[in-house]
Amino acid sequence: MPTATKGVLVQCDPSIRALILQIDSKAPGIVLDELDETHLLIKQDQVMNVKNELNKLLSKNIYNPFDEQ
Amino acid sequence: MSSTNLFKTTVIQHLEELPQTIQTKLYEAPATCLSIFRLLPAVAKFFITSMVFYERPVSLSQLDKWCKPHARNRQIELLQRLKALHLILDVNNGSHITLNPTFRKNFRDCLTGVQSVNAFGNICTTPDKHHVDVSFLDKFASQKWETILHFMVGTELVAAPSSSVLSLLKLGGLMEGPGNSPKNLAITNKGFQFLLQDSNTQIWTLLLQYLNLTKDLNMDPVDVLNFIFILGSLELGKSYTVSHLSATQVSLLADLKDYGLVYQRTDSSSRFYPTRLATTLTSESSALKSASTSMDQVIESASTDNDLSSGQGGVASSTHGSIIIETNFKVYAYTNSPLEIAVLNLFVHLKTRFANMVCGQLTRESVRSALQNGITAEQLIKFLETHAHPQMRVLAKEKLDKKIEFDTNNNINTAGGAPGTKSDSNITQHKLEILPPTVVDQIKLWQLELDRIQTFEGYLFKDFVSQQEFEVLNKYAMDIGVLLWSDKIKKRFFVTKKGIDQVADYANRKIPSR
Repeated sequence: MPTATKGVLVQCDPSIRALILQIDSKAPGIVLDELDETHLLIKQDQVMNVKNELNKLLSKNIYNPFDEQ
Repeated sequence: MSSTNLFKTTVIQHLEELPQTIQTKLYEAPATCLSIFRLLPAVAKFFITSMVFYERPVSLSQLDKWCKPHARNRQIELLQRLKALHLILDVNNGSHITLNPTFRKNFRDCLTGVQSVNAFGNICTTPDKHHVDVSFLDKFASQKWETILHFMVGTELVAAPSSSVLSLLKLGGLMEGPGNSPKNLAITNKGFQFLLQDSNTQIWTLLLQYLNLTKDLNMDPVDVLNFIFILGSLELGKSYTVSHLSATQVSLLADLKDYGLVYQRTDSSSRFYPTRLATTLTSESSALKSASTSMDQVIESASTDNDLSSGQGGVASSTHGSIIIETNFKVYAYTNSPLEIAVLNLFVHLKTRFANMVCGQLTRESVRSALQNGITAEQLIKFLETHAHPQMRVLAKEKLDKKIEFDTNNNINTAGGAPGTKSDSNITQHKLEILPPTVVDQIKLWQLELDRIQTFEGYLFKDFVSQQEFEVLNKYAMDIGVLLWSDKIKKRFFVTKKGIDQVADYANRKIPSR
């Protein structure tokens, strides 16, 4: 008998997938299943959290012209 | 991101949400049937025309043969939308479908021309003493409509639109402020995006707001919608009688006059003329003008107004463009028009303002906030290109000429492609780059960066005992259009939240539990 798991399917490119896995390794319990290269299954209540963490990680490498002034 | 869809709510979506009783009443008017048909996507038109002269219900399996198998998802989605409109109805427990009988009859009448005489409005047969021609109507319509746009951005010297327009703008969230006095209203973020839309979308946005109001005004929504749809099928430059309209429609006429959709010489005049804004409502051809041209006009007239009043016609009056962008993302705009500055402020981090210019910088944050408000990168680039300073254009032209000259002298092609090919094909491959390419690329990259991940709520099915079990359920989920992802080898698939009940039901029926 097949089973159904509730969750949120995340579609992204492999680099972002690696970042999400990195977030998960620091705070376990986010990723439920690694589906394939471009898909992950994550917990429903963690979607916003993942998006925020991703934004933080991605913003690290941004040059802000106003910092110098 | 709900803000992206701010203005995408089309009239069809509005119709889908109406209760069935109202929809059926709507289909009693032949003009409405024809207009709705015109608004539907091509495939839907195909389905309807195929069924309109076929009396008996069509079986779903028959319908499947009309579509290629790989387009099944779109076919199912389309049928769902047509069902929401109650244009097609289920019969025989959902194994067959048929056209809504009221719609079928009236649509047939439209096609064969046996509808009642005044279904598409009564043309005035007597000549008009104060006859007006098409160019007058165009002028009237654009003047009325632009009064609204001008007012929204606070151009001075423009008379405020009528109070009904003001309350619509406020209800739609396009402007806000205490009370309904024109001076207290200020444009909202949503209002700026409204300005970037084409005029057809703008008119429908206002009309849909109006439809939401009809309940409070004690107007019959069916009457209102019918009249709007009739307007869409009237002929430009002809006059129509007011006398056969219902009381609701007469009061509607007065409001439509304020938007420039119809022209009536006086309030008591017995005839009215539809303008181009009205006659293009339900057609696919573009209405009066596109967003950018009307934006240009607004900006142009705003800047010339200001130049005249301040007596310094030097910079902006001779040309439209006034924006300079450097490769380091710095923006200089020679303008003192409140509209242009306000629009720039949507996506530029403005730093300093002088008497005749503003300076600022494109930053990741400023562009991101614009993108998050539903403005696309293409819109931004197009705006900057059309409003680029003439000097930018001259420089770009010089650069292009140099490139072409270099290429022809050395018999190579620096624009990419195979070197040493025919020299005349080189010229076509260089494009005039008014904006610095770095800036254009970066804006596009910032847009891509926004949607790095896509998320879908739903359920993952796994632990199938046999490949066959998996195939059966996987195929069913695909057929009803709820499958998002599947992996044959590991026997797992993901369905949407909406589809879980159907798939679970099907699973319980097909797979014996042990």
